[in-house]
Amino acid sequence: MNTAHYISLTPFDLLLAVGLIVIAAAISTALKLGLTRSLGLAALRCMLQLGAMGLILKKIFQINTPLLVMAWLLIMLLFAGREAVRRSKTKYSGINLDALVTMTVSSLVAGGLVTQMVLRVHPWYDPQYVIPIFGMVFGNSLNGICLCLDRLTEYVKSRGMEIELMLTFGATRAEAVREGARQAVRTGMIPIINNMTVAGIVSLPGMMTGQIVAGASPMQAVAYQIVIMFMIAAANALGSMSIATLAGRRLVTDFGLQFQRHEKP
Amino acid sequence: MTVFECGPIDYSTDKGDRVLNNIQLKLSSPCLAVISGPSGCGKTTLLRAVAGLNRAQVKTRKIDGQVFPPGTLPLWRSRVTLMLQDAPCIQGTVLQNLSFPYGFKAAQPRIFQEKRAAKLLQAVNLGHITMDTNTSTLSGGERHRLALVRGLLWAPPVLMADEPLSGLEPELADSCFELLMDYSRKADAVVICVLHEEKFSEKADKRFKIEHGTLHIPDTV
Repeated sequence: MNTAHYISLTPFDLLLAVGLIVIAAAISTALKLGLTRSLGLAALRCMLQLGAMGLILKKIFQINTPLLVMAWLLIMLLFAGREAVRRSKTKYSGINLDALVTMTVSSLVAGGLVTQMVLRVHPWYDPQYVIPIFGMVFGNSLNGICLCLDRLTEYVKSRGMEIELMLTFGATRAEAVREGARQAVRTGMIPIINNMTVAGIVSLPGMMTGQIVAGASPMQAVAYQIVIMFMIAAANALGSMSIATLAGRRLVTDFGLQFQRHEKP
Repeated sequence: MTVFECGPIDYSTDKGDRVLNNIQLKLSSPCLAVISGPSGCGKTTLLRAVAGLNRAQVKTRKIDGQVFPPGTLPLWRSRVTLMLQDAPCIQGTVLQNLSFPYGFKAAQPRIFQEKRAAKLLQAVNLGHITMDTNTSTLSGGERHRLALVRGLLWAPPVLMADEPLSGLEPELADSCFELLMDYSRKADAVVICVLHEEKFSEKADKRFKIEHGTLHIPDTV
């Protein structure tokens, strides 16, 4: 990497950046948006969380043992799984396990393939690559899984009668929920398709921007970005499919729907 | 001849109220049975329990001596088919609503016969609607008749119907009841209906009443 043009930031530079938040806050106050407080809090949280993250990463990079890297990935995974459930509008019993299993499978496959087969990171756990790449998989799978889950639970709730009708004519659970699962997986995959479609035209993706600023050649940054986007697409497809299957099995049980309407005797 | 056996069936609500108590069904075709009883007595719960659509405890499900364990519920439901209360439709056309079950694995070896479907639509006085009519435009009575056509076309050895005639004009209700009766005879099938009207109970081969969670054969009038 060519680091000749890389500009290191000092605490003073950060202080100047705070000025930008002050501009946003001033607008909020002037227009009485009532956002000043939450803006301030969000900015503070952002600084503290990222700061903590920086310190942790620094430590992990220094110690650089596979166990520590894996432990950190596990923590990220647990948080991502929890967040996926928290963001879902409808909960069902078993949702936590489903989200966690899905998150694990989709990110392990996609992130694993990229770090081990495409980048061939050496050593295999090199935190400089493994942590940010898995972070991106987690963050993006999370979105896909949430969207997919919301769509599916919504489908089962609003079209439960149809599912039941299919069951009465001998549909298996999978057959009865197939259309809902199909729609849900589709919903989960649309954002990444949109992102890939406009990449480079409407938006310069964050990772690529970061690499260019850090001094990487634009073509290298582009190559990385492509790998990452494909990885996210794979993770989203896997994640959506997996959560739709798992959730479908729970929502449509052998005995009808989990969101059973109150049964009239 | 079809021999249909199901039970003993027990069902208690989450609160612990006993809705069905040790009910045993055994019917041989041809037979049209009518189940009646005050609303809330457990008629729907009973049919849903037979179909495996609630948490009822159902010890055995049998047709002609063949036992259907819980893992074979789809196959059982394709043979012992319940026409649900309120006649729900799937989103889409009349054709889709009549033909969707034939795509399921359990449907084998049934094939959707469009001509027969058209005939049955005529028979229930739905000759005016076409196969590409969207079911969202149908009235409640029309949906009930469409559901009846779907059930008769599917032709299971045991057809259960939860208030199949509700919302129908008296004359239409009569002719639809006749269709169900006919079906039990011609297809040599067992038909079990939940119906309120006394006149239909009187015509049935067998009549049952659910009282306090148990099945009674009411005194003939």
